[in-house]
Amino acid sequence: MKEIDEFLRENKPALKDDPTFLLETRRRLEQVEGIKAEVDRQRSHGRVALIIALAAGLALGVFATTVAFLYPVDLQSVGDGFLQNVRVFLETWKHYLVYPVAALAVTLSLVLTLGGKKTARL
Amino acid sequence: MTRERFIDLVRVEQEPLRRFLLALCNGDAALADDIAQDALVRAYVASGSFLGLSKFSTWLFRIAYNCYIDHHRKARLDEVPVEAVLAVPADESTDAAFRYQQLYQALERLPGKEKAAIALFYFEDRSIKEIASILDMPQGTVKYHLSLGRTHLKQYIRL
Repeated sequence: MKEIDEFLRENKPALKDDPTFLLETRRRLEQVEGIKAEVDRQRSHGRVALIIALAAGLALGVFATTVAFLYPVDLQSVGDGFLQNVRVFLETWKHYLVYPVAALAVTLSLVLTLGGKKTARL
Repeated sequence: MTRERFIDLVRVEQEPLRRFLLALCNGDAALADDIAQDALVRAYVASGSFLGLSKFSTWLFRIAYNCYIDHHRKARLDEVPVEAVLAVPADESTDAAFRYQQLYQALERLPGKEKAAIALFYFEDRSIKEIASILDMPQGTVKYHLSLGRTHLKQYIRL
């Protein structure tokens, strides 16, 4: 065993001098920084867009609610009884409407799950 | 960590790191340097998470070892046989060149963990504790791999 110990200590792998190694490292790190900066820029753009969308949604919501309170509308007269008919229809058939709605939900979840798996494999 | 600070630290560590990878790559200098570059990029990206709980070099070697493992796995999947140019310095005598060739051929036959333990212990003079941290295994397991590696090398190398 002592011989092996000595052999290994005396024959460390010999490196060739490579002055370009650190230059190449520096070049790669600069590239990484470029990518990092671009990702950060896109992230901050996304964040700004999200904040604008939230603010716009809030403002529109407040506006719509205010309008609804200030100018109440008699739905029955506007819809010419249509909404009332829809309400009656739903009341009458609600027990049977559950089945198509449930079937649609199951189909949609299956389609979305399978679609998601396909995307994940890519 | 700034880029310049990182490069300063790498300047000190690049030689041992490249030598460690050279041993892992059985003397294929081009491949070893390629993995070293990948490891340095990975380390730089993750440098924000380096808390200084271990030595910078231990942390860097651990990343390099993981890079080597990843590359090894990928290479096994691709399995394209490439004739490696062994890193034997041109100015070495025939005797020394023969010894290096013997060493690399023997290392090639060792399992990855034994090879890594041997390289860190004998070529980089790392302590068992440091090796355990780099290879992410208990110290007892490092000793076991070292002992097994030595036994295997004794069979493969004619002294």
